[in-house]
Amino acid sequence: MQRIPATQRVNLELAAREHGLEYISGEGITGWDESAYYQFTLQQIEEDIESAAEEIEDLCFQVVDRAVNSESVLNRLGIPEAFWDYIAQSWKNGEKNLLGRMDLSYNSNGPAKLLEYNADTPTTLYETSVFQWEWLEHALDKGLVPEKCEQLNDVHESLVGAFSDLGIDGLAHFACNQEIEDDKGTLDYIEECAREAGVKSCSLKMEDIGVDDAGRFTDLEGHNINTLVKLYPWEWLMEEEFGSHIPTSGVVFIEPPWKAILANKGLLPLLWGMFEDHPNLLPSFFEDDPSVSTLIDGGDYVRKPLLSRQGANIEIVKNTKTLFQSDGPYADELHIIQAFEPLPNFDDHYPLVGCWMVASKAVGLCIREDNTLVTSPLAKVLPHVILD
Amino acid sequence: MKFRSSFSVSLMVSASLIALTACDEPKVDASVFKNIEQCKKDPMMRSGECETSFKEARNQHAAVAPKYTSQADCQADFGEGKCEPAPYRTSGGGSVFMPMMMGYMMGSMLGGRRSMMSQPLYRSAKNPGTFRTADNRNVGSKTGRTSVARSATSRPSFKSNTISRGGFGSSGRRFGSAAT
Repeated sequence: MQRIPATQRVNLELAAREHGLEYISGEGITGWDESAYYQFTLQQIEEDIESAAEEIEDLCFQVVDRAVNSESVLNRLGIPEAFWDYIAQSWKNGEKNLLGRMDLSYNSNGPAKLLEYNADTPTTLYETSVFQWEWLEHALDKGLVPEKCEQLNDVHESLVGAFSDLGIDGLAHFACNQEIEDDKGTLDYIEECAREAGVKSCSLKMEDIGVDDAGRFTDLEGHNINTLVKLYPWEWLMEEEFGSHIPTSGVVFIEPPWKAILANKGLLPLLWGMFEDHPNLLPSFFEDDPSVSTLIDGGDYVRKPLLSRQGANIEIVKNTKTLFQSDGPYADELHIIQAFEPLPNFDDHYPLVGCWMVASKAVGLCIREDNTLVTSPLAKVLPHVILD
Repeated sequence: MKFRSSFSVSLMVSASLIALTACDEPKVDASVFKNIEQCKKDPMMRSGECETSFKEARNQHAAVAPKYTSQADCQADFGEGKCEPAPYRTSGGGSVFMPMMMGYMMGSMLGGRRSMMSQPLYRSAKNPGTFRTADNRNVGSKTGRTSVARSATSRPSFKSNTISRGGFGSSGRRFGSAAT
């Protein structure tokens, strides 16, 4: 794994405009940086990342299988009791999943370590699937990278294929908080993939969803919602006013309800509890678990809320001293403690390797780089290549 | 490992899909009846089958029929005396109206198994000679054994009476992006 400086496209502003990405004069594209790229060997990609991610996915499924049969586990994850049967049923019915991104700490000197699994509402999808690919085509064309360069990037075709396999009956509704451009842009792209697969679709705001007298969800035209592709986390859905209608609404949700177990950072101690010493896992414990003392006493650990997003409320402790702490609205959550596995440092750039899972297959790579050890919303996506 | 081959998509440019015209559509066999008596008189039909499929259509009627908050609006679309109160109330407690069920359509029997669910049919004021589904798909004027566009045989959507809106979205307003 190398970080290689590169020449940026001269027409970057135009490229941004064509793709609906924000471009700020003097700063470049928001959330994107092509002044460098990361280069991997085929073996690193295939063995250390792709195989590892698919193996972790399999372990995750074993966690779900256990969780849905254990009230104490569901309770620990903070999942409201009214949803326990509903989530269990969605898993037992084999409701299909679409998307997720595993965030890995990887430095090519050892196995990739799972930091967390964004299994419910992952973003940076478009940058991975489309913009990064277009960069490679351009870079190959202009000779900016060696001509044999490839990319792990089968995200677009996989998404289209996955939508075909979902067998959606009738109209699919796509809903998110449309005021957030990042969310809307990501969901729009997912909808484009669905349409390419022949799915009929329309999009609406979360707050425009109605409920009828039979407890079914409706759109603004009064049509019932049968399939809802949402970029809106399960923990919010379950807590909000209409949440109580969800189990009897008859709606097929994508992501399915059982993803609530994987998108929770409680997944990490559950994984460690079942598969201790697995090379791709880090020691992790719920903060109220007595075993947590092994990490706390060692003095190097990371403290994360069960449910937080975009690097909020994360604390890194090194040699018993706080090395880094981020603010956020999730301070009151139950926390987990995870062994500290620092991201590799390339001249004060800290790349986080995101492995995109589509229908549980590892199909794409997204490197996000920040200048701190915790990857924040200010992080930028850098393209990658594979070259032997 | 699968590396992606080259592809081109016009992304982020909202694609408005052009609906296929009905004449290109494959036809499927179906049976259309004005009522259960007409079905029972048809020598091709078994009486038990008539009753089951009528009930199936009748049970969907209130849910899938178009809904109106005024009887006049309903009659403008479906004709004088062709509307009835729906078993729903608006959120303000007002009445809801819907067209009367004027017939039903059932799938053909293939190997003893019906090819689709039955569904109710309606007749519009403008075009009273033809039957249409609750989703306004024309299935022609012929009764008995007939063939209809496949799209007309899909399950009609519920047109329900939304009693409340805005019960989702509060966390998004509080926390901002859902992105992870």
